[in-house]
Amino acid sequence: MSDRGIRTLRQIHAEPYSFPFDGHWSSADTALLLLGFQQGPISALAAMPAFTTALDLLSVALDCGLFVAASRRVALPAGDDVARRRYAMGDVVPAEGPGDWTFPPQLILPDTALVVDHPGDNAFYRTPLETKLKARGIRNLLIAGLPTEGLVHATQRTANDMGFECLAVADACQGTSETRHAAQLRITTFGNGLFGTVASAAAVKAALTKI
Amino acid sequence: MSEHPASGFWPLGGTSVKSAMAIILIDMQIDFCAPGGWIDQLGEDVSNTRAVIPPISQALAAARTAGIAVIHTREGHLSDLSDLHANKQWRTRVHGLGIGDMGAMGRILVRGEPGWQIIPELAPEAEELVVDKPGKSAFHQTDLEAELRNLGISRLVITGVTSDCCVQSTMRDGFERGFECVLLEDCTAAVETPNHLATLEILKAFGGRWGGVSCLAAFQTMLEHTDV
Repeated sequence: MSDRGIRTLRQIHAEPYSFPFDGHWSSADTALLLLGFQQGPISALAAMPAFTTALDLLSVALDCGLFVAASRRVALPAGDDVARRRYAMGDVVPAEGPGDWTFPPQLILPDTALVVDHPGDNAFYRTPLETKLKARGIRNLLIAGLPTEGLVHATQRTANDMGFECLAVADACQGTSETRHAAQLRITTFGNGLFGTVASAAAVKAALTKI
Repeated sequence: MSEHPASGFWPLGGTSVKSAMAIILIDMQIDFCAPGGWIDQLGEDVSNTRAVIPPISQALAAARTAGIAVIHTREGHLSDLSDLHANKQWRTRVHGLGIGDMGAMGRILVRGEPGWQIIPELAPEAEELVVDKPGKSAFHQTDLEAELRNLGISRLVITGVTSDCCVQSTMRDGFERGFECVLLEDCTAAVETPNHLATLEILKAFGGRWGGVSCLAAFQTMLEHTDV
C-alpha cells in the first residue's frame, strides 16, 4: 500500500472476461455506483436481498478506499409528457421528501460520497456524475442497483459509451422480474462484453480483500 | 364512435402532425448487414440483420412519400481512432478482427471506408440527415438532439440494427430526452435471436416504458391517415 492509501487490485473473475479488461486497476481509479436503492423502490420490488448484498459490498469498497456514488430517482415538479405517461403506467417516481425517496437508514454513505438525483433511468443524464467521476480519475465502475433493466442497464450503457470500464454486480441488482434481470445481464455480456462485464458480489469482494 | 386509424400508434395519443415526426434508420451499414462486411468476415450469421432490409425499405418508402423527416445513422470512428475507447477496441479484437483493423472492405468501422457505408438498398437521399456516431446511442457525442429540436421533431420512429445494442440505446436515450419513441419490431433485428426476443420483451413490459413497440403495417396506416 502506498502512502496515499492506493491499493492495486486483482482482476475480478467476471463474464465474459476478467475485469478490468487491461488488468490495471486500483482503489484510486474505481468507483462503486449504487443506483436507486431508495425505500420506495426497494419495497415495491421486494429487493431486500439485493440491497443487503449491496450494503455488504459498500462496506468492503469503503474499507478498500473506493469512491462511492449513489443515485436517487426523483419526480420533477413539472415533468414532461413522456415522464407523465410513464407515471400513468405505474412507474411511480418518488417525490423529494421523507419516505419513498429517501435511502433506507442502513445505507450510510461517507461524507465524500457523491449523491445525484435524476428523474429517468439514466444517472448520467443531466447530473454531474460524469464530470465528478472523470475529475477524480475514475476509469472503472462497479454497478449495483434497481431495477436491472431500468436504472442499472441505462446507466451502464451510457457509462460504456463514455469509456468507463463497467461491471454489473449481478446479485446486488434486481429486475422487475427474474427473467428480465437474467436477459438484461446476458445482453450485457454479449459480443465479448458490448457493455462490460457481470460478476457476483462474492467475486468482487474476493478481489477487493486480497492484495 | 370508431377509433381513428391513426390513433393508437403514438403512445401519448393526440393529434398526429407529420412535421413533428421522423424515422431513424440505425446503422444499416455494410459492416453490420452485408455479405463481406465486418460481421460476415467474423463468420457470424448476417441473415437476421439482412432479413429486415425489405421491411425497412418499405418503411423508408412510406416515410419519403409522406414527407416526414428521414435520419440515417452510421457507427464509425475517426481514422486516427482518437474517438475509440481502448476497451471497445480490445473487446472487438478478441474476435480476431477489431475496430480499426484492415479487413476485406477496408478498416473496420472507420469513417469513409467501404464497409462503413450504408448498404445500397437504403442509401440516403440528398436532403436526409446522416448522423455519424462513435458510440452505441445515436445521441451520444452527436448533434442528433439539437437537429431534432431545430426541426421541431418530438416523435421518433425507430428502425435498424441491432435491437439489443444500438437500437435499444437510442430508444432509451430518446426517452430520457423527452422524445416520444416507437420501435417497429419487424424493422429491427439482432445477430442472435434470443437477445432480440429478450430485448423486445423488456421494451414492451409495462406497456412500453421507453416508448411504444409497433410494426410496419401500423406505421404505414398511421401515415396514410395523417393529413397534415
